[in-house]
Amino acid sequence: MASFILRRLVQALFVLLVMSMLVFTGVYVIGNPIDVLISPDVTQAMRQQVIEQYGLHLPLWQQYLQFLQRLLTGDLGRSFVFNMPVLTLIGQRLPATLELTLTAVLFASIVGIPLGVYAGYKPDSLAAKVIMAVSVLGFSVPTFWIGLMLIMVFAVQLGLLPAGGRGETADLFGVPFSFLTANGWSHLVLPALNLSLFKLAMMCRLAASGTREIMLTDTIKFARAAGISEGTILRRHVLKLISIPLVTVFGLELGSTLAFALVTETIFSWPGLGKLIIDSITSLDRPVMVAYLMLVSALFVFINLCVDLTYAVLDPRLRQGRR
Amino acid sequence: MTPLLDVRNLRTYFETDKGVVKSVDDISFELGRGEVMGLVGESGSGKSITGFSLIGLLDENGHIQEGSSVRFNGRELVGLSERELRAIRGKDISMVFQDPMMTLNPVVKIVDQIGMAIRAHEKVSDAEIRKRAIEALDRVRIVDPQDKVDQYPHEFSGGMRQRVAIAIALLHRPQLVIADEPTTALDVSVQAEILTMVKALVAEMGTSLIWVSHDLATVSSIADTIAVMRRGKILEAGPAREVLHHPRHPYTQGLLDALPSRSKPGELLASAATEAAGAMELTGLGSGAIDAAPDETFVKAENIEKVFAPRIGAFHRLGIRWGVMREPSPVRAVKSASLTIARGEILGLVGESGSGKSTLGRILCGIYSPDAGTVSIGGKPVRSDKGKLGTHVQMIFQDPFASLDPRRTIFQSVSDGPIAHGFCTRAGAREYVNRWLRAVAFDPALADRYPHQFSGGQRQRIAIARALALQPEVIVCDEPVASLDVSIQAQVINLLMELRRTLNITLLFISHDLSVVHHLCDRVVVMRHGEIVEEGTATQVFHAPRHPYTQMLLDAVPKLEA
Amino acid sequence: MAMDTRAVKAVSPLTEFWRTFRRNKIAVAALCVVLAIIIVAVFAPFIVPQDPFDLKSLVLRDSRRPPGHVGATGIVHLLGTDSQGRDLLSAIVYGLRISLQMGLVAGGIAFTIGAVVGSFAAYVGGRVESIIMRIVDVQLSFPAILLAFVVAAILGQGKSQLILALVFAQYAYFVRTAHGAAAAERQKDYVQAALSVPMSGWFVITRHILPNSLPPLIVVATVQIASAISLEATLSFLGVGLPPTEPSLGMLIANGFQYLMSGRYWIAIYPGVALIVLIMAINLVGDQIRDQLNPRLRK
Repeated sequence: MASFILRRLVQALFVLLVMSMLVFTGVYVIGNPIDVLISPDVTQAMRQQVIEQYGLHLPLWQQYLQFLQRLLTGDLGRSFVFNMPVLTLIGQRLPATLELTLTAVLFASIVGIPLGVYAGYKPDSLAAKVIMAVSVLGFSVPTFWIGLMLIMVFAVQLGLLPAGGRGETADLFGVPFSFLTANGWSHLVLPALNLSLFKLAMMCRLAASGTREIMLTDTIKFARAAGISEGTILRRHVLKLISIPLVTVFGLELGSTLAFALVTETIFSWPGLGKLIIDSITSLDRPVMVAYLMLVSALFVFINLCVDLTYAVLDPRLRQGRR
Repeated sequence: MTPLLDVRNLRTYFETDKGVVKSVDDISFELGRGEVMGLVGESGSGKSITGFSLIGLLDENGHIQEGSSVRFNGRELVGLSERELRAIRGKDISMVFQDPMMTLNPVVKIVDQIGMAIRAHEKVSDAEIRKRAIEALDRVRIVDPQDKVDQYPHEFSGGMRQRVAIAIALLHRPQLVIADEPTTALDVSVQAEILTMVKALVAEMGTSLIWVSHDLATVSSIADTIAVMRRGKILEAGPAREVLHHPRHPYTQGLLDALPSRSKPGELLASAATEAAGAMELTGLGSGAIDAAPDETFVKAENIEKVFAPRIGAFHRLGIRWGVMREPSPVRAVKSASLTIARGEILGLVGESGSGKSTLGRILCGIYSPDAGTVSIGGKPVRSDKGKLGTHVQMIFQDPFASLDPRRTIFQSVSDGPIAHGFCTRAGAREYVNRWLRAVAFDPALADRYPHQFSGGQRQRIAIARALALQPEVIVCDEPVASLDVSIQAQVINLLMELRRTLNITLLFISHDLSVVHHLCDRVVVMRHGEIVEEGTATQVFHAPRHPYTQMLLDAVPKLEA
Repeated sequence: MAMDTRAVKAVSPLTEFWRTFRRNKIAVAALCVVLAIIIVAVFAPFIVPQDPFDLKSLVLRDSRRPPGHVGATGIVHLLGTDSQGRDLLSAIVYGLRISLQMGLVAGGIAFTIGAVVGSFAAYVGGRVESIIMRIVDVQLSFPAILLAFVVAAILGQGKSQLILALVFAQYAYFVRTAHGAAAAERQKDYVQAALSVPMSGWFVITRHILPNSLPPLIVVATVQIASAISLEATLSFLGVGLPPTEPSLGMLIANGFQYLMSGRYWIAIYPGVALIVLIMAINLVGDQIRDQLNPRLRK
């Protein structure tokens, strides 16, 4: 077990290092940020001064090494546009995105998995067919379009819920969250729903196909032959078997939802990381882009690590040091 | 006195994409208390479905038809609600399945799996569950049951898992146990242990048993009565001795005649399938081996070693150096094995699963390269560093459903090799392939079909034709009859003997089935844990084995009760 | 079960497949929808009432008119017009054309790369295999949308840039699928049989492994083409996809977004509906193929 964790940790560090190189080089290719930093009518001397201040005259590899060096001291640079430390900037935005993402994924799991398990358990029932048909629809509709429709129906036509923003927030451990106030919830509902629908459909389908296959195995037939009730079979056999693939999916989906949040955040003007990265790409705010991508990579690596560990806990075949 | 089980006019039909399949078609039988019945039949005979029908455990598309009756202790089971059936399953009638690797839930502890089965019919405390689980394991002779209950199925061998399944089936001291091919997936030695154990347990508990199997020999050693099934019907039923020694139905007679153990070694087996397939045309076939001079060491394998080492990554190696990871132990599949085969000889290679016999076969055929040692045929090596050399050794595989490419027609599959190696031209391929198909009694007019349109026996003959078409001098047969029904098995054995006789082909016959090896082979090599433990002529090995392992194997083979 | 009689025709696996497929009416309907959309997209210039690229034919007075409006040039705008006075139906058909083009080209390239790299990795094995698969695994842990978004942002707007971004975001799925399928096929006895002949490596890959690993690849292809179309629309909506000169469905929707609040719903809704119908039809076809290929669900 210890060896397993160690191996995954070393791998994770390696992945992060490679990612930092790729991200840094990739971002370096996009335009020259100096044009964003200063207005075109400043003097050549000032221009040169700014270039040197940001180290933009150095070759790529030196800039990268400097970046790594600062990274180790926890300094991710300053935003060109906001002129504040990137870390602070991201720290301000991160809670909003995490809040949105977690709400969406939890909702998708709580609703999607039971529906899917049911549809897989009784695949020939009418309810299962309806669930599967709706899930194909949910799987097919692009997130941004659903977002528009939600705004149109609930905000414009019915006027029930606000179309954007975070609303009132309350602090938890000094960090503002929307889900702590009623007004915040009213702002959170639509974007979270928007973000979760695609995931919901996907989890539902995965749970359904997994359950359907498990139901056909000899394990279930043997349990039935022993006279074990269907309820016990579902709870003790099916759920235990299906939890293993679902945990993987849950982790991967958490990551991908984090990324998809940029679409939802744009539509609902949700002041999270997604909006920040879109703004920073259009304004060529290099430090913010690099920091965002590194942060997202780190998050993904962390999530994958958690998935692997949970996997090992759930599956006794892995736990006992087998490969 | 009413019999324990009284089945009348049982019919179970399945609705499939290809129409209604009458899996069980009007069968009737009785079973007394404490009686053991063997239900015998080849694949597709409906014997397993009969077992499942009794406790109403069928797939969604299967239905027991009107007019069927299953009376258990005088109570009609057909038409009972799912609830009522569930109260009977596991308590009064329980089942053991074929593949123990698939029946237990891999992520649930043994104690919990047993606990679920106990609680299905009784209200019991956790402590009581544990106590009874330990007792149950102890009853099926699992050592250290106190520790074993807390383990997961993957820590158990196949035989032990089947013991656990049997323990679960016997938890509530049922009046009837239905065992569906319970030893088929196990090694011979394990099979024998389980058989003896079940026999003793049911006798001790007074339980009735229906033992479903394709293997007459196994059934004969446990059953009081035998029923023979074919195509959903019972052809013949009666006391075991009667059925085995004075079969009334020609089909039963045919099944018995097809058993290698019932005829003299080397004789052609009586096989209805051979006759149905038509004559083999073995004249005018080219083969380098026909007039070759005798050669005692024609195939020569010396000190073969093969290790399957798990791949170690760079991080892992670092971990080993730091002492936080263990070095994975490599698997030595073949340990310093040497053997020779004379030209025209059939050498049997015998061993249980994991003995390395398949790996050695593949090394002899040149598919794998050995880590040490050499293989030569007629003095020439079969393999260089780059890969296999020449076509003079070919191979036939166990599963005929997997050994033909599903997306290539029979003609394509058979002609690929000969065209690539210049045995025929592309234009002459049709004629060339037809000749070899006729040699295995396969109708060339069917050569443009795809494998899925043929039965297992037909496919195995196609696979043999494919090997023959490369005019090999040696053929390595890896369990070629293991997945075939008895009558088809007899046909393939006959075919191999004919080929050896007419084409003077040298055969390495790999098998776990000692009776087949005894019948077919001139000499025998016994392998265990990658090592060759015994070697000798068939007569010597089977009648005067020198190694205790061989003796144990021979004792374990189920024999038709005399 | 005996099939010895000559009356049985030679049935290729493909024919067999189609026979089963045909039984699912919904899947057949979906397949018809996909084919119809492809035909409409190919023959777009002959079908639609107006060439949406021809700026001369646009009349500004006709802009943002509701469905059914009769324009100045006498054209009946069945689905209304957009902000520049374009007939929305024509714009949608042309948008579908671009979306399909993106999806198919990107999917096709990713498919080819995936099939080649994946089966190569499975065949050679060893260190090469583990390096390739490690890269793919790492890439797969990042969501496609993020990869596509970053690459599209780096490369800038344009058709080929977008295709590159989509390919980059999707090829890993194909590699993994092809590798998995090919590795499974490689273990099978018929490949071992071919190696024992011996047939050349090239023959084994092209005639045995590739054809047999095609089915799972086709399933992935349907999913990935559908998702490429959706991705393209999303990227265009976010403004990093196609340039305004190539009005895809995503851009039409983005343009309609601003009018949504003022009740001019049709500009954003109809292109969205067209997009959904297309994606859903592809997914339904893919679903049926997957169910049919799953050996565990066969009866």
